[in-house]
Amino acid sequence: MANSYAILIAVLLFPGGLFALALGLTLKGADRRVAARLQGRVGPPLTQPFFDIVKLGFKRTMVPDTASETVFLAAPLVGTASMLLAVALIPIAGVYNPDPQIGNLLVLLYLLAIPGVALMIAGSASGSPYGAIGFSREMALMLAYEGPIVLVVIAVALRTGLAEGHFPTFSLAEIVHYQQAHGAFVLDPVMWPAAAAFAFFYPANLGIVPFDIPEAETEVLEGPLLEYSGPALALFKIMSALKAVVVLSLGVALFMPLPLTGGVGLAAWVGQQLVLVLIGVTAVRVSRGRMRIDQAFVFFLKWPLLLSAASLAVAAYYTAGGAL
Amino acid sequence: MNFLSLFARNLRRGPYTEPFPFGPPSPTPKRLRGRIAFDAATCEGCLLCEKLCPSGAIKFTRTPEGMTFDCWHPTCVFCGTCEFYCPTKAIHQTNDWHLAHFQSEKFGMTEHGLIPNLVCADCGGKGLNTVPNTAKVRPPLSAEEVVQLRARCPKCRNKFLKSRGKKP
Amino acid sequence: MTVLARLKNLAARSPWLYRINAGSCNGCDVELATTALIPRYDVERLGIQYCGSPRHADIVLITGPLTKHVLEAATRIYAEIPDPKVTVAVGVCPISGGIYRESYAVCAPIDQYFPVDVNIPGCPPRPPAIIEGVAKALEIWRQRL
Repeated sequence: MANSYAILIAVLLFPGGLFALALGLTLKGADRRVAARLQGRVGPPLTQPFFDIVKLGFKRTMVPDTASETVFLAAPLVGTASMLLAVALIPIAGVYNPDPQIGNLLVLLYLLAIPGVALMIAGSASGSPYGAIGFSREMALMLAYEGPIVLVVIAVALRTGLAEGHFPTFSLAEIVHYQQAHGAFVLDPVMWPAAAAFAFFYPANLGIVPFDIPEAETEVLEGPLLEYSGPALALFKIMSALKAVVVLSLGVALFMPLPLTGGVGLAAWVGQQLVLVLIGVTAVRVSRGRMRIDQAFVFFLKWPLLLSAASLAVAAYYTAGGAL
Repeated sequence: MNFLSLFARNLRRGPYTEPFPFGPPSPTPKRLRGRIAFDAATCEGCLLCEKLCPSGAIKFTRTPEGMTFDCWHPTCVFCGTCEFYCPTKAIHQTNDWHLAHFQSEKFGMTEHGLIPNLVCADCGGKGLNTVPNTAKVRPPLSAEEVVQLRARCPKCRNKFLKSRGKKP
Repeated sequence: MTVLARLKNLAARSPWLYRINAGSCNGCDVELATTALIPRYDVERLGIQYCGSPRHADIVLITGPLTKHVLEAATRIYAEIPDPKVTVAVGVCPISGGIYRESYAVCAPIDQYFPVDVNIPGCPPRPPAIIEGVAKALEIWRQRL
């Protein structure tokens, strides 16, 4: 029973739930603030995303006549729930180790796809033509970026597993432990292609500017989110905040866990995420324009796929050769 | 990599943002066409502005006290035609742009002026205390003459000008 | 101060703006875009975001004299904005009709059709004037939450 309580705490309080939500919203606030500074503006307060969520809580939720009401209202709930669970799956180096009962890296890959699916369902259930366009764009983008991320994850699993002398391991905890002992993968030239492919993946998954095609505000009026208002929209905002934490901490766990423990480890982990957001999200978002869906599709099938395939081959060759 | 130098410059220089509405607004250009100001003491009463106003914001009304001037800002398009054609510049555009108001104040957003009645110094008849039109009078009237002229009703003003040997 | 009042105070700091162009000449829309986009009048300081969908909006900015042609569409879009909302008329056209006043083709003033809260006269109003008007709308928005 104690075990199930621990899981519940991991999902609802730390590192999932409240902690991840607060972290995700703060990251978003920092992103907006720094983006404003880069553009020569003052920008909103750091806590602005919290205000937005509270505000949306006071608004009315409207369901369009043409929408299928149950699906329309369930989609944000499913997306948020999947992300709550996903945060609890990712270890924080030296601070938190997920219960192996909840799942491993493969479960995480499936959970990572759910917010995109929830958005697609939301867009198609809303009965709005813009939602439908958002749906089709989200689907095309997902098809393009899901392949490389799977290859990247397999490459990391192969590298860790073969180096430890057994099958590829899909336990994130084991991957993190290996890196804490032998140095982070981001410093290992063998894993650079994988890290580069992951760097292309996460703006697409988070829906930020070069790849925010499904939710393009100026083209399809936020696409799937067009018909949402009030608490349902707040749930989507919470979902994307949690997703930012999930994707960033996955990147940290796969490539750059630090050999630290306790409070220092936690602070360093938060710091790593902040740096990743400011460099990888804010600077890119401010300096780049949005791609067209066909450009993004071709781009993902070209570079990240090539990089991830190369990383898989290199990791397999190197580690197998090292083991032999 | 042009954008990197731009980022560095923006971060180093700090925001370009004006402090308004948290602080005082930056100085307004002097010639900004804003709120209309009307000076009843220098008005000629020619009603040119009312005729020319493209949006019909200016309205003169005869009342028992005299003639009132009203410019309703919510329909004024701030084109400046009234000031341009006003012979005595009694109507003037300030550079005040603080015109945003609550709906309850909508019909109070007027510039109001009253040109009072006067009793003619010659005949005791009724007239309006407007500035006399003396632009075309040759030789030009002296300041005292203008004051005398102003105290008369329109008919007596005409007589006065005829007595100067010139048609007004 | 109760928890609810405190939350409402927080919520009041996040107004999202939506523009309805009711047959405007685009002058006011250009000024709104200027207010929104250029660093000099950064409206994001106030927590303001321009949103593309009427469903996300809190403060509605209406420009233009509400021509007969857009009356129905504008009314429908206005009804799609969830309560509570604040309505702001930008420019003289929606307030009184401006130079289109008494034309057969316009339905100005718009307060015959929409419950306007704040007016920002000007043809078009300056960006600081728009910010001033939105700041006034925020006072109403705070009470209405």
